[in-house]
Amino acid sequence: MEGEDVKPTVTLVSSDNMEYSISKEVAMVSPTLRVMLEGPFKEKSGRVELPGIEGNVLAKVVDYLQYNLQYKFANKDQEDIPEFEIPTEMALELLLAADYLNV
Amino acid sequence: MSFYRSRNRGRGVNDVKGPSSALTQFLRDEGISAQEIRTRWEKQQAEKQESDFPNSVEHGVETSPHTEIRDLSDDNSSETDTDENTHKLRMIGSLGADSDEEEYDEEVVPKRRPEPVKTRNNQSDKKKTQKLLQNRRKRQKRAAELLDRRVELPTLQELCIEKIGSNISKWNDETDEQGKQVYTHIRTVLGGISTDNLNNLAKALCKNRALNDHTLQLFLKTDLSHLVFHDCSNVSFEGYKALAVFSPHLTEISLQMCGQLNNEALLYMAEKLPNLKSVKLDGPFLINEATWDQFFQSMSGRLTEFHISNTHRFTDSSLSSLLRHCGEQLVSLHFCRLDSISNYALIPQYLQNPQFHTLGIEYPYNEEDVSDMLVMQLLEQVGSHLRSLSLNGCLELTDNAVVNGLAIFLEGNDQLECLQLEELVNITSDSLLYFFKTIPLPRLSRCSLKRCTKLTDDAIVELLLNPAKDALEDLNLNSLINITRGTFEIMNCHNLKHLDASFVRCVDDHVVKTVGSQNPSLQLMEVFGDNLISSKAPIREGLTLIGRQSDSI
Repeated sequence: MEGEDVKPTVTLVSSDNMEYSISKEVAMVSPTLRVMLEGPFKEKSGRVELPGIEGNVLAKVVDYLQYNLQYKFANKDQEDIPEFEIPTEMALELLLAADYLNV
Repeated sequence: MSFYRSRNRGRGVNDVKGPSSALTQFLRDEGISAQEIRTRWEKQQAEKQESDFPNSVEHGVETSPHTEIRDLSDDNSSETDTDENTHKLRMIGSLGADSDEEEYDEEVVPKRRPEPVKTRNNQSDKKKTQKLLQNRRKRQKRAAELLDRRVELPTLQELCIEKIGSNISKWNDETDEQGKQVYTHIRTVLGGISTDNLNNLAKALCKNRALNDHTLQLFLKTDLSHLVFHDCSNVSFEGYKALAVFSPHLTEISLQMCGQLNNEALLYMAEKLPNLKSVKLDGPFLINEATWDQFFQSMSGRLTEFHISNTHRFTDSSLSSLLRHCGEQLVSLHFCRLDSISNYALIPQYLQNPQFHTLGIEYPYNEEDVSDMLVMQLLEQVGSHLRSLSLNGCLELTDNAVVNGLAIFLEGNDQLECLQLEELVNITSDSLLYFFKTIPLPRLSRCSLKRCTKLTDDAIVELLLNPAKDALEDLNLNSLINITRGTFEIMNCHNLKHLDASFVRCVDDHVVKTVGSQNPSLQLMEVFGDNLISSKAPIREGLTLIGRQSDSI
């Protein structure tokens, strides 16, 4: 995570008040977060509350956002792109969160 | 590697070629299975290891096909034969005949031939093998992704659905009847999910062949208004009835491979789904003539889209019933591989809806039934507002249908998005050139001219000069053997994403480079059978080539 960087950061807050600080660039991978952060909403301040998503699920979502940003433009032939692992028990909730965040 | 194997099989023995060689046939007749031979071979290898006999397989002892066949035919009768030499000869013979051996020579493959690796304790060799294996796995994974046409990074939703789908199918196989109540729970959890993802889940389940009456429960009691099942082969008629009762909001339903859909279930759906207006069925061969008639009667006034394929029980009288009861409202009609229909000529007079937008008549049983005249009449009726036209496999169609049909009645139509004219072997460039020259198609995003083997450069060049070039996303030029490099050099479509240029012999490295640089959105290019493309072809970043000869797995 690049929380301490000079780059602008965004804080995602889960339903159980866990906070995840990520760079704005990472958050922008999600179209939903992008609209929230760019639109005339209070989230513009950089603090996004996601009461529908639990802490452990949100952690996984953050992992994916970073994974996506890192490998989106990677050349599959030259670079080995690792699988993104999803724990079975989390799959349903993660799907709901992914659905909401449109990633 | 298994993808390529069938092509090589049978080579070398009597020069027999084709999917089923004489040897294969012989083995099948004699009841000799490859598994049996392999088991014996593995046993033999173990014995050999003990007796310290190094790599006998690679000595390349020549045996005639006759020896081999005799040896193999002896297999059944000599189960107790323990003579090592006979075994050895047999194995050498069979391996020499099967091309598997040459494939293995390219790389070390411990999976099928583990012994030589085990005997070497050399550390560096082990590492090398591991690396090879890793590379191979990587390539296999990549190939699997390509087969799924997955060129972009998967979304988190796709990953989750894949996971859920595979778990449901796994769990479905393992648990017994009582345990299956859990679906209700899963569905409760899925309650908050978008209907799009529910359809994606249906897709994932179908892909795993896991859609059955139990998993179907996931889609009940939902607000789903449209539902697509790509593989319903395991859904019983009870399942369809449950679907009709518990998903009353359905307006559009697409059931592919719905072989178990019976008369009762179809009528039940018509009765219980008051909003149903779009029905797409593939393979409903249990539905008989009388039921079709009844179905159309009850759908009269609301059926607007009807697609049907792969059933011999949909007859001329069913067609007539469809048109009489629902013809006026229809906006989309698609027939494919209906072996009992000959009277297509009935269709034009009934298609009265000015909103009619999708027409497909594909692979008629008798090609003569879909004539130039019929196409002209159809287009006269609906041509001006068509969005999709598909005439694949109507082999009798000639230039006349294009010049006096498409070129006249599509005039002024700026809505056409999809044009499919596959396998129209009688159509020449002259007519298509005229068509693409006279009719601007500013929205044509999908065009397939696959296997229209008489087409030459002129037709395709004209298409690429048509306003369609800015809208084209998917272009299929498969097997157009007469087109040359010049055509690809002027291909400049900034929205083109998928190009099928398989079996177009002129496609070489230079063409790949040009096409890649001139079509910035191109992601996927199919080049099967284009043997002029070398491994050194310059491929633009973001573009994937499928089917190149030099890419082995």
